[in-house]
Amino acid sequence: MHSRVVEIWVGLFVGIGFLALFFLAMKVSNLGELSSSREGYTLFARFENTGNLKVRAPVSMAGVTIGRVKSIRFDKATYDAVVEMRIDPQYDTLPEDTSASILTAGLLGEQFIGLTAGALETYLKDGDQLELTQSALVLEQLISRFLFNKAEGGDKKADASAAAESK
Amino acid sequence: MRADPFSEVDANRLSQSKYSVFRSVESLASMTIADRSGDGNLVSIRDLVFSRDERKIFDGIDLDIRRGKVTAIMGPSGTGKTTLLKLIGGQLRPDRGTVVFDGKVVHEQGLRDLYALRRKMGMLFQTGALLTDIDVFENVAFPLREHTRLPESMIRTLVLMKLQAVGLRGARHLMPAQLSGGMARRVALARAIALDPMMIMYDEPFTGQDPISLGVLVKLIRDLNHSLGLTSVLVSHDVHETLSIADYIYMISEGKIVGQGTPEELDRSASQFVAQFVHGLADGPVPFHYPSDADYAGDLMGPVKRRPGARH
Amino acid sequence: MLQGWGIWALGGVQRIGRAHIFLAHVLLGLPGLLLRLRLLVREMYVVGVLSMLLIAISGLFVGMVLALQGHNVLSEFDAEQSLGVLVAASLVRELGPVVTALLFSGRAGSALTAEIGLMKATEQLSGMEMMAVDPIKRVVAPRFFAGLLSMPLLAALFSMVGVLGGYFVGVGLLGVDEGAFWAQMQAKIDFEEDIINGIIKSLVFGLIVTWIAVFEGYDAVPTAEGVSRATTRSVVYSAFAVLGSDFVLTALMLRGE
Repeated sequence: MHSRVVEIWVGLFVGIGFLALFFLAMKVSNLGELSSSREGYTLFARFENTGNLKVRAPVSMAGVTIGRVKSIRFDKATYDAVVEMRIDPQYDTLPEDTSASILTAGLLGEQFIGLTAGALETYLKDGDQLELTQSALVLEQLISRFLFNKAEGGDKKADASAAAESK
Repeated sequence: MRADPFSEVDANRLSQSKYSVFRSVESLASMTIADRSGDGNLVSIRDLVFSRDERKIFDGIDLDIRRGKVTAIMGPSGTGKTTLLKLIGGQLRPDRGTVVFDGKVVHEQGLRDLYALRRKMGMLFQTGALLTDIDVFENVAFPLREHTRLPESMIRTLVLMKLQAVGLRGARHLMPAQLSGGMARRVALARAIALDPMMIMYDEPFTGQDPISLGVLVKLIRDLNHSLGLTSVLVSHDVHETLSIADYIYMISEGKIVGQGTPEELDRSASQFVAQFVHGLADGPVPFHYPSDADYAGDLMGPVKRRPGARH
Repeated sequence: MLQGWGIWALGGVQRIGRAHIFLAHVLLGLPGLLLRLRLLVREMYVVGVLSMLLIAISGLFVGMVLALQGHNVLSEFDAEQSLGVLVAASLVRELGPVVTALLFSGRAGSALTAEIGLMKATEQLSGMEMMAVDPIKRVVAPRFFAGLLSMPLLAALFSMVGVLGGYFVGVGLLGVDEGAFWAQMQAKIDFEEDIINGIIKSLVFGLIVTWIAVFEGYDAVPTAEGVSRATTRSVVYSAFAVLGSDFVLTALMLRGE
């Protein structure tokens, strides 16, 4: 085979290979987002319990992802969890009394932070802290509370039926 | 870089001969015009011992190859004649003894020096050993491209000259697979002389050739030796062709040199082995029968024993 | 019997030692090769370009099958939107590098072994040595580096075509939501943990497969039978080595998280 044809084919091969790598990086993985998340601004929020929240979990408002969780730390002084969030730069009009809660996607899905806008006219700036937070629902606590209520309710019923029988 | 390759080679030979330590008086006496360097022996082998898998292939061999001459090494198949060429080329290391090429002990050279030595020798393999993925022209050009930075036009000139010398200039676009055995050897010969070596080693050049290509090869070896001032080493068991072109012949059998001399001397040799080999007799010092531990009658009449190697 | 095992084991250790010395020799050929990139390009054609079609078609089918099987299981949990994650994660982390390495050893590795083995059997390597040309640097090194460079590119091609195949089947045929397919994938596939680790894997596999291939060829018994045995060994050893090292690499990468 002519060496020129060989060279063109090899060039094509290397080109396609790098195109594939680029495709994997930008289209398949989160590299495309990571680059934009380098910009934007940071907010903090304190939670009593972050449950299963992971780094890079989405931060969403009205169901739209507007940022990502950047880090989760434990505060030795207050025994709280401090969550650092990166908010995309175009969402720069969050009211100061915005509240944050840790929500779950679906019944057993991943956890994420949901923001609910407040009513103030002043906006959050880089490094601000969200004051109103609601912790993650922990399944065990939910179940035990549910069982507790159920048991209480059941006792009442049992008492009632026992009373009826004794009549 | 190398405008006149011939003169440079000559200069090389002269400069290297200054360091030559191994000069033998007897060879000085028999110096000819071809011995421009003053040392008559291009290769001298002393007390060479080499064994492979417990089997001694060479057991103390002394051998000299004179400059400008055709020296043949003959012997029955399997006596390690090819091995001897590989020892001279430094592809194998001797167990004992020395191989001196152009004043340098071959197996004591570092890789770089060894490669420098090999550029002064060409070798023609039995099969030709042409590179199968490139055509005849590129095969001959291969050593030039690897070792020199000559411009393309000069490479073309040199390759065509070498191909013309072996009569295959017209076959330059053929691939090695399209060549007959004899043509492949001629191309390999053109490749071996591409860098103008001092010596060419021929490994069984006559095996399996028809009479015509045999004649061509004999003529080529003889002509190249004279016209290029080459030293030739020829390994063969084809008696007739070898005797017709060799100046001096060594006979090797079972690791020893059993006879040496000019073709005329060997023809008249008193040695039984040499006589058997030269005249192709079926029986002699090399017996017709492979040795057996029982005699023929005893073997035929004796009890049937199960052979240990038999499959059943 | 026991002695036989001992001899066999010693022979194996000796061979492994030789393989490492051989590798060192091959790596020394790199500077010379950089001056003659033409040789490398030629071998990239044989090793890379000629494997491209095989790799692309295999990747397409693997991706399509993954989508079918994945959809079948995920739909039981009403989690079809995660199909993209499943296809991409399987391809990028495991199937891309591993299947590419196995196919590569069957297509290019065996060809390398046979080619070098035949060159040895026909005395071409010996002939080069006598022409003062180092066959390891001239013949083996370009093939080795061509294989090493081609593997990650081929693995990336395999993964890309696989993801696209999964997309056609998942979104086109099975009706998974297109936005969810890509969004979930991008949310779950991490560039450093998944893509970079996949590339590292394919580089290691490329090293292993081409190393075994060229060594088996160079070390082959120089007869027709010896070369055919070496070719078989090359493919079998490559498969073992790739799967074994995949386990080790995966364990290391998961622990690093």
